[in-house]
Amino acid sequence: MASLREMQHAFAAALRDPAASCPVLPTANLAVYPNHSTITFREALEQTFPVVRRRVGDDYFRQLSAHYRQRFPSRSGDLHWVGRDFAGFLDEYLAGGEYQWLADLARIEWARAESSITAEVSSLGVDGLAGYAPEALEHMVFGLQPSLRLVASAYPVYTVWLTNQAENAPPVDQSGGHEQGMIRARHDLIEVRKLDSAAFAFVSGLDSGATLGDAMTTASLEARTLTGLLGFLFSEGLVCSLTLRE
Amino acid sequence: MTRLDTRGVPQGPIPARAGIGLRSVHHEAVLTDRPAVGFLEAHTENYFHEGGAAVRALLRARTNYPLSLHGVGLGLGSADGIDREHLRRVKNAIARFEPALVSEHACWGHAGGEHFNDLLPLPYTEEAVEVLARQVGEAQDFLGLQLLIENVSAYVAFEHSRLKEWEFLCAVAEHSGCALLLDVNNIYVSSQNLGLDPVEFIDSLPVTSVREIHLAGHARNGAVLIDDHGSQVCEAVWQLYRHAIARFGPLPTLVEWDNNIPALETLVGEARRAERILGEAHGLAA
Repeated sequence: MASLREMQHAFAAALRDPAASCPVLPTANLAVYPNHSTITFREALEQTFPVVRRRVGDDYFRQLSAHYRQRFPSRSGDLHWVGRDFAGFLDEYLAGGEYQWLADLARIEWARAESSITAEVSSLGVDGLAGYAPEALEHMVFGLQPSLRLVASAYPVYTVWLTNQAENAPPVDQSGGHEQGMIRARHDLIEVRKLDSAAFAFVSGLDSGATLGDAMTTASLEARTLTGLLGFLFSEGLVCSLTLRE
Repeated sequence: MTRLDTRGVPQGPIPARAGIGLRSVHHEAVLTDRPAVGFLEAHTENYFHEGGAAVRALLRARTNYPLSLHGVGLGLGSADGIDREHLRRVKNAIARFEPALVSEHACWGHAGGEHFNDLLPLPYTEEAVEVLARQVGEAQDFLGLQLLIENVSAYVAFEHSRLKEWEFLCAVAEHSGCALLLDVNNIYVSSQNLGLDPVEFIDSLPVTSVREIHLAGHARNGAVLIDDHGSQVCEAVWQLYRHAIARFGPLPTLVEWDNNIPALETLVGEARRAERILGEAHGLAA
């Protein structure tokens, strides 16, 4: 008699390929299982990528889900992680075509999914800087909210995301150029916000652990805009810790 | 009787009342309306994460209700072994939410590294008893509590099966020390699909083995009943439920609704119906 492991692997083969045989009765009912796991996988993707689904329509999304699942089957009993590789998959799947921008749209939606399960940390007010000498500022390292995600695209995907919060939104002109921004959790809501390119480069630098001075240099940030940006970071509750790098 | 700890959070065993499956669309309404149900049951995997709105909603709801955590992703009958990372997350959820009951399914879910995110059927063999009982035992040791193991809906039976489903479940309980969660709708769905007798199933289980009952709706697709948790509990399942509590005594009873989820009051109405039946059978105040 086949071992339990052999039977489960035969069943698994029948889940992937309905033509594969498996020692069960009634044979006709076996199809319930591959149907169910296909739908469960697709619904989990739809839940994570509602705007991608809106832009491509149900039929094409079904096709994307099937091809994605062949390449990146579920690796967890927790469906939340099903979409982890979707943006990277879309990069390859849509390479060279007119819908390449969908991969970056998926990056925004995956960032939202990650932010939505990340604990919010108590933040510092701007008075947190008060105890430091002005010349120490450039050596300051900022700990930012753990839910913060930064996504940049060569396409106007933030505009696409924002205009597609309802069904049947009109297409967005893809000649609108690059966009970049941030995603973060705040008071149980997930915020998606466009940033200008200098602010994005600066916040990205801080988020990767650069000192304030280095982040300003990398972003080619002019000193006069620094006050406004620091005010933004503190007032948005994005700064959780400050440390001086020796 | 449910008692409150020093923080006012309900502790102790779940009462022999009807509860509802907590789904995210009802978080707000459950927190605001505080429906008079005996307990809440949540899918463990939906509250695995370190933060976020869902986790915070369940922590708040937990201050008002006893909680049961019901896992759908561990698949302890998988011959490839236990997903240790998943089990560790279950343990974290138990520490955080302090459930009075923790349950899993008599099923498998992964093979060759792929998870199918479904409650897949086991062959009812001695080997499957051994594998499931051993892994349930390991999970109980790691989690530090007794698990309830639920019978699943089946659409097929393995040609290799040598035991009846209830013999299989009893053997797993005996060898692992787990208790059973009896899903009456699943018994009905499997019986209809595989030509079995649901009353014989219920009458064959030892009276003391069952600690909780599940009720839900199902759908019909041609000749096959599909356990979709997408409608009201059907009359045949209510009849089986009466039969089950006459045999097993008053037990915590959960109404699950996962697809086409209705307004909270409709779900609570189903729980009230279960409480009336509990009351009629055992003289409890409904």
